[in-house]
Amino acid sequence: MKLFETSHEYPHDWAAVTLAFWRKYPNPCTGHVKHVDVLERKVDPETGILRTERLICCVQNVPTLIRKLFGASEETYAYEVSEVDPKGRTLEARTVNLTFSNLIRVEEKLSYTLADKAQTVFRQEAKITAFGTLSRFGNYIEDFSVNRFRENAARGRRGFEWALDCLLAESQEAWHRAEGFVKEDLAIMASSPNASS
Amino acid sequence: MESIGKDCTELKQAYDTCFNRWYAESFLKGNTTPECDELFEKYRSCVHKTLKERQLDKMLDEARSQGGPSLDEEGKKKGGEGGK
Repeated sequence: MKLFETSHEYPHDWAAVTLAFWRKYPNPCTGHVKHVDVLERKVDPETGILRTERLICCVQNVPTLIRKLFGASEETYAYEVSEVDPKGRTLEARTVNLTFSNLIRVEEKLSYTLADKAQTVFRQEAKITAFGTLSRFGNYIEDFSVNRFRENAARGRRGFEWALDCLLAESQEAWHRAEGFVKEDLAIMASSPNASS
Repeated sequence: MESIGKDCTELKQAYDTCFNRWYAESFLKGNTTPECDELFEKYRSCVHKTLKERQLDKMLDEARSQGGPSLDEEGKKKGGEGGK
């Protein structure tokens, strides 16, 4: 098993940082992330916590050896569950790999917590375990995965910062306009029974 | 960003726009009443159809049955993914 850990402080308030979490993709730094889809999402009526499940599809260069052995395509999938507590000002997300899950488990945990009014602490850790049936390759696979994870974490953070910068640079109104879909969306919302709030 | 299902991309973008606005303007300000349910239901059913077609639903079920990326594993359900 290998571990990877990193943390970072953003000099921005928690609300803006978590908004960037949802708006992170697409960004110029993480071209390997092709699709991010929301599978389930709801607010717990008692706690007010927002729980989201997402499917993340990446295209990256998996080593030929592994691809040949396991016949996987270039597309790899991961499953993320996150919870946002608006009162406690915490966002936590955990992700596991779906592809190669019989060979390796890559579990990522990240959190954004309020440090003070204009500071948000980001923590990220990953636990990478190659399974015993392939112990001959285990070390190679774990080392490869930790290195890949480190590269992607750095790219991910740059991408996140890009999204955050965009967000902060835009005024609320300009941001709505930039979405491009807003007019269409407003029309849809206007015709929806939930639109009036 | 496109959805995993080509036909779902427009639904995704309409929903994401609604969600981002609701998140910033309602949820973070303490109003947790959902506002994008109708858009989400359309988008969600489109995505789930794609998952079935590509048999990704089975991968997801398997991950969930193995404890998934549970957020409360340390606290609420101890030893969930032990030696399995």
